[in-house]
Amino acid sequence: MKKISVYLILLLIAIILPFFSNNFIIRFVTTIFMFGIMASAWNIKGGYTGSASFGNVVFFGIGAYITAILMEKGGMPFYLAFPAAGIGAAIFGILIGLPVLRLRGHYFAIATLGVAEAVKALVDNLEITEGNSGIYVPTLNLPVKGQYYFYYFMMLATLIGIILTTIFILRRKFGYGIIAIREDEDAANAVGINTTLFKTTAFALSGFFTGLAGSIYAYQLGFLKPEPVFTVQTTVKMIVMAVFGGIGTIFGPLLGAFTIEVISQILSNYFLVIHTLFFGVIVILAIIFTPQGIIDIVTGRKKFGMAYLMENIRKHRI
Amino acid sequence: MLLQVIINGILKGGLYALMALGMSLIWGVMDIINIAHGSFIMLGAFCTFWLFEYFKLDPILSLVFSISSMFFLGYFIQKYIINLVIRAVIFITLILAFGIEIFINNFALVLWTADVRKVQVPYGAANFSLGGLATIPFMRLFAFILAIIITTIFFIILNKTKLGRSIRATAQDLDAARLAGVDVAKTYSLTFGFGVAAAGAAGTLWSLLFPINPMMGGVLTLKSFVVVIIGGLGTMLGPIIGGLTLGVVEALGTNWFGQSFENLISFSILVLVLIIRPRGILGGSE
Repeated sequence: MKKISVYLILLLIAIILPFFSNNFIIRFVTTIFMFGIMASAWNIKGGYTGSASFGNVVFFGIGAYITAILMEKGGMPFYLAFPAAGIGAAIFGILIGLPVLRLRGHYFAIATLGVAEAVKALVDNLEITEGNSGIYVPTLNLPVKGQYYFYYFMMLATLIGIILTTIFILRRKFGYGIIAIREDEDAANAVGINTTLFKTTAFALSGFFTGLAGSIYAYQLGFLKPEPVFTVQTTVKMIVMAVFGGIGTIFGPLLGAFTIEVISQILSNYFLVIHTLFFGVIVILAIIFTPQGIIDIVTGRKKFGMAYLMENIRKHRI
Repeated sequence: MLLQVIINGILKGGLYALMALGMSLIWGVMDIINIAHGSFIMLGAFCTFWLFEYFKLDPILSLVFSISSMFFLGYFIQKYIINLVIRAVIFITLILAFGIEIFINNFALVLWTADVRKVQVPYGAANFSLGGLATIPFMRLFAFILAIIITTIFFIILNKTKLGRSIRATAQDLDAARLAGVDVAKTYSLTFGFGVAAAGAAGTLWSLLFPINPMMGGVLTLKSFVVVIIGGLGTMLGPIIGGLTLGVVEALGTNWFGQSFENLISFSILVLVLIIRPRGILGGSE
């Protein structure tokens, strides 16, 4: 009961926050929500099913580009383009998942990375995506403050959507199934779990929410180009956030997104030119010292200190 | 015309083979996918560039410096960073390598800016004709031959020396190698050092032929993947077969579809080969 009330208070803060803050803060928290969605979506596949996708940005890009094309070329309103982006990304996940999901470990990671790069190169060369010159997205017809509220609450709603979905599936046969696949795929297969179906569904779910995030992002940005939209750094960010927060936990990825975005923002305030350099350092330190995620510390299950950091290293060093 | 395209492809393929050699070694021995591989190639290229700019050192002599400095860099990165997480789930080392890549690339960007640079040697444009059928640029042929020689040297080190034996033993069975008295941590560091040194050598040769900039690593990493995946892990012949295949296919593809399709072609090959033959053309079954 105590736990639920903490989450409700956090949710309440998230809802009233934009009415008491300036545009900069609203935009900043919107970005945190966006990465929270993507890290949580990555977590469904990478955290619970156990095979780490290194191409999740492809769903983000596809969602963004579907939105842009439907709205700019098809004249569709956003409330139709938005679900279409999610569904499109999910369908792509199924199509690409059927062959790629048979691969394991590194081969799966590299294949997904290759898919993302191939799609980026394709978008760069296609006519309908306007290639490298970029494509415009119609702007939202609201006053500036209203626009900020709109994107903020769209991201928040999608974030709540994926958190609730994660909680929901974990209590179903599907949730137990994908965790069984993570622990031992062959054994899961042997006890009658349809591993292909489960893995594909997890991948498609992951794609669906990442596509939705991409859709809102496209509407908010108003202009898309292949390189920043499909950049592999976005995938890296999702994964690092999920790992830093705690993979295979419900709120870990969101916590990771929040912490890493705040750290990055502070660093970029102080070191304007070289803050991207620090992102590399954050990745390295987070991976070495907190491979289990900081969620255990925040929820009080473990104490933070030298002993905690050393324990993590001792477990994995050679 | 077609002959010329194929020859260009083969010459570039030799360089691809050297590029992928280090990645294949590191992947095969330690099960680490070195995402930062392209960044090490970039560092090797800049090493050559600055030695040429400041000391007018011939790029071919600077191979000695790029290979040795990259070896030590790789050795220490493995010793003090990667060895700390080597036994975690495999994607942890992958994402760690990503962190290293981001750091190196941005470090280079801060130091050297995003300018595109080129090593301009006086003999750079020399070429000779092959009986009137095709022209062979001297530098490309030279880079090809050097790439094959360096690959052979690595092959000999791995197969004929005691160090090579301990590296191969570690790759086959970590615990058994340990029981037989192999210092596994040190072997890992040396292996990573060798892999990165090969990347440095590839960088030097790359800087002779193509323009360089701090962000060039990403695409080179992905191309190295393609080569490793085509050739398969665990053999020294793999990178050579993979490199030549990629070089020729890419040359033919860009000849038909245009230069802007170069990356699309390589990545499509990557995904296709992974789906059809995940262990590579030469690789055995699971």
